[in-house]
Amino acid sequence: MSRPAVAVERLEKTLGSNQVLRGISFEAQAGEIFGLLGPNGAGKTTTLRIICTLLSPDGGTVEVLGFGTQTAPEEVRRRIGVVTADIGVYPRLSARENIEYFAMLCGLSGSDLTRKVDGVVERLDMGSFMKQRAESLSSGQKQKVAIARAIVHDPEVLMLDEPTSNLDVLASKEVREFMVEAKGRGKSVIFSTHVMHDAERLCDRVTIIHHGRVVASGPTDEVRGERRDLEDAFLALVEKT
Amino acid sequence: MRESLIVYRKELQEILRDRRTLMAIGLAALVTPLVLLVISRVSATTATQTYTVGYSGDIPTGLDILLRATSLKLEPVADPAAAAKAMVDLGVAFLPGQIDEYYDPSRQGAQIADVRLQTVLGQYEAAQAAAALQSRGIDPGILTPIHLFTHPLSSPVQAASNAFLSFFLPYILITMILTGGFSAALDSSAGERERRTLESLLLTPASRSRVLLGKIGAITTISLVAAVAAIGSMFVALTQISIPGPGGSATHISLSPAAFPVMVWLALLIAVSFSALTLALGTLAKSFRQGQAYVTPLYFITILPASLILFIPDFNPSLAYYLIPILNAVLVLRDAIVHDTVAWPALAVTTISLLATGALSWFAALRLFTRESLLTKT
Repeated sequence: MSRPAVAVERLEKTLGSNQVLRGISFEAQAGEIFGLLGPNGAGKTTTLRIICTLLSPDGGTVEVLGFGTQTAPEEVRRRIGVVTADIGVYPRLSARENIEYFAMLCGLSGSDLTRKVDGVVERLDMGSFMKQRAESLSSGQKQKVAIARAIVHDPEVLMLDEPTSNLDVLASKEVREFMVEAKGRGKSVIFSTHVMHDAERLCDRVTIIHHGRVVASGPTDEVRGERRDLEDAFLALVEKT
Repeated sequence: MRESLIVYRKELQEILRDRRTLMAIGLAALVTPLVLLVISRVSATTATQTYTVGYSGDIPTGLDILLRATSLKLEPVADPAAAAKAMVDLGVAFLPGQIDEYYDPSRQGAQIADVRLQTVLGQYEAAQAAAALQSRGIDPGILTPIHLFTHPLSSPVQAASNAFLSFFLPYILITMILTGGFSAALDSSAGERERRTLESLLLTPASRSRVLLGKIGAITTISLVAAVAAIGSMFVALTQISIPGPGGSATHISLSPAAFPVMVWLALLIAVSFSALTLALGTLAKSFRQGQAYVTPLYFITILPASLILFIPDFNPSLAYYLIPILNAVLVLRDAIVHDTVAWPALAVTTISLLATGALSWFAALRLFTRESLLTKT
């Protein structure tokens, strides 16, 4: 097997008095959608934040494409694109200005910047609202801006934290289609959710965490096992622990 | 540096689209000259206003002419003491060989009328004494055996102008730098948390110190723009205001040559320090509103030193006092305005003190900006 895009090894993290992660390990490969599943408060967001260098682990290691999050955080951030749970955009900038700002901070400039911004705008079908100020955009349009700014530098690893939780049916569908398309481009897509239906449809492999521990990990079919669907399997696993 | 410039440009772009900041700068540019014009009108009116003297008895010959020439209007009343309480500014009872004066010291008009009456009476008595001596063939010069020749080292009119500027200019400079950068600093720190853009910003490869540098640069720029707008409009207003000089001439209030570069240098130092400080305080806050609560006390802290110059204009402290931020800037600027000189040791200590304040604030802002709880506590 080739080198994993993301390798998480015995991750531990305590926030305040709460031990959020208690030795989490998993690997995500290029060209797959990897699901990080668990109920609210299980530690999904904390895990993703450690992978993307926003938080430091108390124990364990994380490598992204061979770069350690503790030893080379800027190299890691250069190679990842993250769509956070909160769709925060700069309201007084236009949709295009929002994307360009993040593209420039990722090192793009000149004709390369224009080409890549144009490319992502076309890919996500955002042309109709590019000049609009972000404050006047709908939630779905803001989510597209958030995705666009995360992928404009064409990162190898994409991480999406509960990307459909605040979206309507149509916008959610577009996000799911985007993830499938990114997988088709050979990207490693890590997707955290508590919506089991989405995970079952999209993920090649999943890891279920509960109370900061991995309770199941492997190909989606294997984790589902004999159960009717992934939700049943999830409930059985969570109730058991 | 490239990342800092990108952040700087984006922050300025956002600030210039923010009504709150633009209104603060616009108001500063409008209100400052308005306040000055009102002050000058009130002063001019007070200086030339006619005050009423209610009197009883016979006015000594010639004194009425002197009183009227000093804008004291004479009005006969039955009871000068009762009249001085409400009807007139001053009550005077002319008795044989005696004058009884009644006035209410709590009224400014009564105080001014009293000073004018005392001056007129002094001149009248001197004239009467001189006339009496002359009629007896004695030289009235014996009344003034010692002649006093005054040699003012600076123009009294310019001194009055400098005294006014030494209070007003530091006050406007400091409050406008703070007001101008206030909104921008909170929007750039607490605002990032409130609209949930902070996490995405910190996910870019740009280092946090460079992001912070860009933000401080933008806030400093807008603070200086606000100060320049307010001071510029103040000097435009001052060209319309004149102070009456000797021989009926009029002098305009102007800034001494040494004060201008000192003011520019201090404005830059204060703007950088305040930007870092307000950004640090804003980073502590979870929302714009909470940030306002943290930053508002800064107004009072900064207004105090400027007020000190108003109440103790001759305050000449030792060099150690110049280590106190803001107070040092006010003192250095006052010295440059009043004496038209730069006290280099004081300026050096002030520069070190303000740079140290800026550096400490920058360090605090960076520590706050890199702490994990910035993201984990909402």
